[in-house]
Amino acid sequence: MMASTAYPASALTAQTRSARLLQRAQPFLYVLPAALFVGFFLIYPMVVTLWRSLTRSDGITPAVFIGLDNFRALFVDPHFLLSLKNTLIWTVASVILPVGLGLTLALILNRVRWAGFFKATIYLPATISAAAVGILFTFVFAYDNGALNGFLRGVGLGGLATRWLFEAPLNTFSMIAAYTWQQTGLNLMLFLVGLQGLSTEPIEAATLDGCTGFGLVRRIIVPMLMPFIVIATLLAVVNGFKVFDLIWVMTQGGPGRSSETLAVTMYREGFILFNQGYSAAIAVVISIAALGFSYFYLRSVLEQESHT
Amino acid sequence: MSAAATTAGIGKRSELGFASAVILTVFWLLPIAILVMNALKTPKEFLLGSGLDLPTSFNLFGNLARAWAKGLGSGFVNSLIYGIVASVSAVILAALAAYGIVRLRIPRGLFWFLFIYSGTVFPFQMYLIPLFNMYLDTGLYDTRLGMIGFYVAITIPFCTFVMRGFFLTVPWQIQEAAALDGAGSWTTFWRIMMPMARAPLILLVLIQFTWVWNDLLFGLVLSKSDDVRPIMVALVGMQGVYGASDGPSVIAATLIGGAPTLILFLALQRYFIRGLSLGVGGR
Repeated sequence: MMASTAYPASALTAQTRSARLLQRAQPFLYVLPAALFVGFFLIYPMVVTLWRSLTRSDGITPAVFIGLDNFRALFVDPHFLLSLKNTLIWTVASVILPVGLGLTLALILNRVRWAGFFKATIYLPATISAAAVGILFTFVFAYDNGALNGFLRGVGLGGLATRWLFEAPLNTFSMIAAYTWQQTGLNLMLFLVGLQGLSTEPIEAATLDGCTGFGLVRRIIVPMLMPFIVIATLLAVVNGFKVFDLIWVMTQGGPGRSSETLAVTMYREGFILFNQGYSAAIAVVISIAALGFSYFYLRSVLEQESHT
Repeated sequence: MSAAATTAGIGKRSELGFASAVILTVFWLLPIAILVMNALKTPKEFLLGSGLDLPTSFNLFGNLARAWAKGLGSGFVNSLIYGIVASVSAVILAALAAYGIVRLRIPRGLFWFLFIYSGTVFPFQMYLIPLFNMYLDTGLYDTRLGMIGFYVAITIPFCTFVMRGFFLTVPWQIQEAAALDGAGSWTTFWRIMMPMARAPLILLVLIQFTWVWNDLLFGLVLSKSDDVRPIMVALVGMQGVYGASDGPSVIAATLIGGAPTLILFLALQRYFIRGLSLGVGGR
């Protein structure tokens, strides 16, 4: 349109010129809306977080550049170190429990009747949000009228009834139990998909050689499933490392700050204590670790895809 | 086929395996069963008794009515709006972008794809603080528009990834034929590409609706009032305020809050399991 007013004398060439311009601009008109959303809401904040992590800032007074001081402070901060330790417990536990249990169940369900029903039931909690699971299990773990203590008292083990969510490190393990309840189904499904795809020849050959039951599983099937085990493990590591919702709902990282993980510490520092620079530094630490795990995850997914 | 062969290879149907599957399934259902039971009690009954006592009367609807008035209602409606508007908008915007990148061959297509896709790479913690400050400065904080804007943005990258994969598989002859018929890129997109892409589009809307519905973190950071906060934030707020005094209504509310995604899954199981192999979880 601009072009046609600029060259009134040669209307025809101007028209083809603007048509050609439009033709060339066209793909951008399709891509830009999505790119602008991502740029404004995701990429810009991410860059600012990187910058913030190098400053001392409370969100109100201007930020002061302090270089890497936040990161140095982190690694002598007992709150951060405890949080890091809890995060590692979460990461390891979320591999051993949901992934291990999911694998075991997949191997069992692959050869029993009613497998479809069992599968759907175990997967059921994975369809509910972590926040909802957290609220529900807060009631399961309640001291006076919780279901767990009710059961223990009912069977004469009342001595074991305790404040599941109020004593560290017990509260972390209680929350991991709830997490396992939610996440096992996801891993189960993954392994069932893997089992469906196994080629049958090695299994048949091994069976003919007299290899059955547990030996067959351990020597033939588990090694053949290895790519899926690696993928599930790395995925569990990434997710376990970033866990927030469940903890925020069940203990808010307490009592005190005893059950915080890095994501919870980041939230508390940023939005409750308003140490924005310090909080941004924790976000950067989480990102570096998560990116590292994601790299290995993507690499094994791509390797797996190139095999099939 | 191969599964059946595997079954035969491992041996006869294992009774021990069946028994352990039954035990584990009961164990898995128990928390839900107990909580449903407690959602039926009166607050007093719940407070004084044990979690394992059977309810003496049926109070589910009364409990739900109180919960609905205390924040479940507004949260439910808010999240329904966010989930539908954001997932549909994001899927359309992502389809447009993928179409521009793959089919219209935008210059430096890989750059544009990676620019958009980079939104799935970083943990959410990288966005929180600047987003919060930005929302305060621009007046987007605690508005429905602000919530929708962010949910659209966070769900675009994964949708673009999937739609790019889809458009790469569409034969070029279709587009050339449309061009010969005089159809412009806009017409081709809406009349030819979108109808063809129905399966991935539906799958994406479902995955993203579930994501938005289940979000807690961004709801906590970007909203505060009843009129804006999404359902999970409302539930957590209810638990904090009424968890001790009115447990049954909080439990009932949480079961209702978890129901939509559960129903979506049960109704569309097939699609979800296909989605699982397509990129676990997504966003």
